[in-house]
Amino acid sequence: MPLPHTEKCANCPALDDENCLANQGVKLSSYRPGQKGTIFQICGDPDFRRRMMEMGFVRGTEVMVVKYAPLSDPIEFIVKGYHLTLRRDQASDILMSEPGQAA
Amino acid sequence: MRRTLTVALSGNPNAGKTTIFNAITGARQHVGNWPGVTVEKKEGTTTYNGQKIHVVDLPGTYSLTAYSLEEIIARKFIVESPPDVVIDVVDASNLERNLYLAVQLLEMGAKVVIALNMIDVAQGRGIKIDVPKLSELLGVPVVSTNGKKGIGLDELLQTAIAASDAPQDDYRKRSFIRYGAEVEEELEIIEGSLAASSVNLDGLSSRWVALKLVEGDTEITERLSAKGGLDGLFKQAEASRAHLTDIFEDTPEIILTDARYGFISGAMKRSVHLEATDRVHLSQTIDTVLTNRLLGPVILLSVLYLVYMFTFQGSEPLVKLFEAGFKSLGNLVENALPEGLFRSLLVSGVIHGVGGVLGFTPLIAFMFLAIAILEDTGYMARIAFMLDRVLRGFGLHGASMLALMVSGGLAGGCAVPGIMATRTMKEPKERLVTILVAPLMNCGAKLPVYALLIGAFFPDKKAQIMFLLTFVSWGMALLAAKVIRATVLSGPSAPFVLELPPYRVPTAKGLLIHTWERTWMYIKKAGTVILAVSIVLWAMMTFPSLSPEAAKPFDEKVATLTADFLKDPAVRQVLPSEEALGEFERFRERLTRGTEPEFGANSPLFGELALVVDSQSAGLSPESTGKKPRPEIVQAAEAYQAFRTAKSTVESEKQMAHLRNTIGGRIGIWLERVTGPLGFDWRTNVALVGGFVAKEVVVATLGTAYSLGEVDTHQSEGLSERLRHEPGWTPLLAFTLIMFVMLYNPCFTTLVVIRRESGKWRWTVFAMVYTTVFAYLVALLVHTVGSILRIGVA
Ligand SMILES: Nc1nc2c(ncn2[C@@H]2O[C@H](COP(=O)(O)OP(=O)(O)O)[C@@H](O)[C@H]2O)c(=O)[nH]1
Ligand SMILES: [Mg+2]
Repeated sequence: MPLPHTEKCANCPALDDENCLANQGVKLSSYRPGQKGTIFQICGDPDFRRRMMEMGFVRGTEVMVVKYAPLSDPIEFIVKGYHLTLRRDQASDILMSEPGQAA
Repeated sequence: MRRTLTVALSGNPNAGKTTIFNAITGARQHVGNWPGVTVEKKEGTTTYNGQKIHVVDLPGTYSLTAYSLEEIIARKFIVESPPDVVIDVVDASNLERNLYLAVQLLEMGAKVVIALNMIDVAQGRGIKIDVPKLSELLGVPVVSTNGKKGIGLDELLQTAIAASDAPQDDYRKRSFIRYGAEVEEELEIIEGSLAASSVNLDGLSSRWVALKLVEGDTEITERLSAKGGLDGLFKQAEASRAHLTDIFEDTPEIILTDARYGFISGAMKRSVHLEATDRVHLSQTIDTVLTNRLLGPVILLSVLYLVYMFTFQGSEPLVKLFEAGFKSLGNLVENALPEGLFRSLLVSGVIHGVGGVLGFTPLIAFMFLAIAILEDTGYMARIAFMLDRVLRGFGLHGASMLALMVSGGLAGGCAVPGIMATRTMKEPKERLVTILVAPLMNCGAKLPVYALLIGAFFPDKKAQIMFLLTFVSWGMALLAAKVIRATVLSGPSAPFVLELPPYRVPTAKGLLIHTWERTWMYIKKAGTVILAVSIVLWAMMTFPSLSPEAAKPFDEKVATLTADFLKDPAVRQVLPSEEALGEFERFRERLTRGTEPEFGANSPLFGELALVVDSQSAGLSPESTGKKPRPEIVQAAEAYQAFRTAKSTVESEKQMAHLRNTIGGRIGIWLERVTGPLGFDWRTNVALVGGFVAKEVVVATLGTAYSLGEVDTHQSEGLSERLRHEPGWTPLLAFTLIMFVMLYNPCFTTLVVIRRESGKWRWTVFAMVYTTVFAYLVALLVHTVGSILRIGVA
């Protein structure tokens, strides 16, 4: 099944169809509350990738899932010491190096 | 004395800019808007050691990429009217992300001074910052501050003044981040190309321009291409971007962002020491309850409910006081001036109109205070967090939440800033939908209408009905959004990036300033637009006056009544002529006003009669006054009462005939064909037409319509009392009108803003048409169902 992000990665040379890194990473959206890990790559459209990086989601940064909103979406994270929320499908554009580890 | 320095305060949202701004400028501040947009612009002045300083509070931003309206404004200000110094307020407890903006400012070549704010919070979290080291690494002065307590602000100003003296080039040379050989090579080539083209950069640093070109920044590209003849430069920039993309397998802007964070991490490692704490911050502990899956939504609803109780119950005594104040002002003017057009203009047009709106000022102020508390504590962001999933289901967005909130999600907002708030949204469709449904929210201008009708028809359930109306308006806005997104504006949804700032105890000063600014805007609106509209509407309901032929039957009827009355034998004894009757009427008037010196001393007969008349109309037996009145006086008094009633009925009919004849009346009557099924009569229609200009005018117009219809002016009851006793007015009608006012045509100002924000007249017209049709259908449904089920018709 093609990953939903591959299309949006058209502007992202590292993530073109053949070299798509998505299969090598773990989606941040798969992390449960209380789990953490480090960022491997950000997918998605260029504006979103850039904004996320400006907000501190750069490669190698540790991210922890704090909780899900009452309706399981959006998700609250701690990154670089502050709290940020993203929708589940955006979080699935953030690829982590490893499956979530208990914090 | 030296020239005035301009200092801009920049920083991430919630870093403490406004707190520092307020502390520096005190009361010497002015709130306006940035040119062409309704993002708040705060400016103020202060004098430090004889140096006059002009301070500008820039909107809070995470970056200067021109991602959002705030970023565009902040960047434009720094680029186009460079301040002498930029004070970048950073949150010391959240240093890493805050420094990203600082680095961008440095790269722009601005003279930056860093205010290391919230230093107390950082210390509390065991974050040890080596300030001199940080300053050395960044190459700019760094001053620790505590904005809340005002600590370090003197030093901050002193440092800023000193920085303004330093040569600009010093700062430019400190543009210190080196991006590695490949990037630097391309930057050098572009800078060379810039120099060769000898284009005027308007004082911008050429390195910064080169950086922006490598990043493919549209703002700078547009700016330069406007100058013309730079095709070579743009070709070079494209080539450099392609080259770097090839090497790094990612776009240059991503590489540069990564590198900036790399630089920040390096600087942090060398200057910040974190004492080991696994301690969970208090804020997070609070959130285990407040955004808890089960408790969170319950608390959210309770908070919203509390806001209502606070707004309505809390402000009640003050609202009453204001109402009484305007009422006595009206009476004062009425007594001081002779009857005529001018008095009518002042009392019915100006005082009733503006007073009706200004009377609600305390309520509006309480609501703004409640919203300020939600914003300043940080709870507002939690509301968006918890409700996003719901909103998205309707084709909206997290940022829509903010826009809808501001528009009146908590009742008492305004669609104008709400629609402006949508500029933070990048997705055009979601933004447009938000713009289109924002006017359906319960804005502050609708509150007076609700308050009036709820006060009159649901006096025991004020808070409950308001609470219900909030849900209804959300429901209507969401329904409209869903329908619009499914039809005229279909498509997928855009990203949602929302920070949850730590909970903070708001300062009284901050809350009051916030509340005052917004309330003042409301007052200004009431004082200007509403005044003009009130006068126009008064004229609409005054002219043309009744023609003599049309007035004749009424006058004749009065004459007959008078003649018959005077023929009564009992009356004849006390009031032998029409002059005597007139004398007696004036006597009674003086009594009511308390200007008759000694009760009936000059005319004992009048005194006797008046006493009996008054005790009769008060429902007392004449004996209760002590002395048993003579039977013929009792008889005369009874005849007098009957005469008065008959006469005032005729006069009411005449007034009504006059009103119906005026321009306003004619419009209202014509509209009855359309609004008949809703139960609105022509006076309500006139009020609704007035509401096209501004919703609060509905109250003003109803006030005018009903005070003009009033015959016995010195018995003026409040408007809500009037409506309650007006035949035809039922709780159902009141509720139907509330629904109609909630939904129908956005006010004039909002339409102007919709036009500007959507860029198309098409959407403006669409907004007018769809809201009014929607309002009509909903009101029709309410009224029909209510009538059939006989709810609230008694
Ligand atoms: N503890 C502490 N709180 C502060 C400090 N400066 C500001 N605050 C609080 O932080 C919150 C956000 O401040 P504000 O000035 O509105 O931030 P802005 O968004 O940058 O304008 C307010 O509740 C302030 O009272 C500080 O130095 N220490
Ligand atoms: Mg602020």
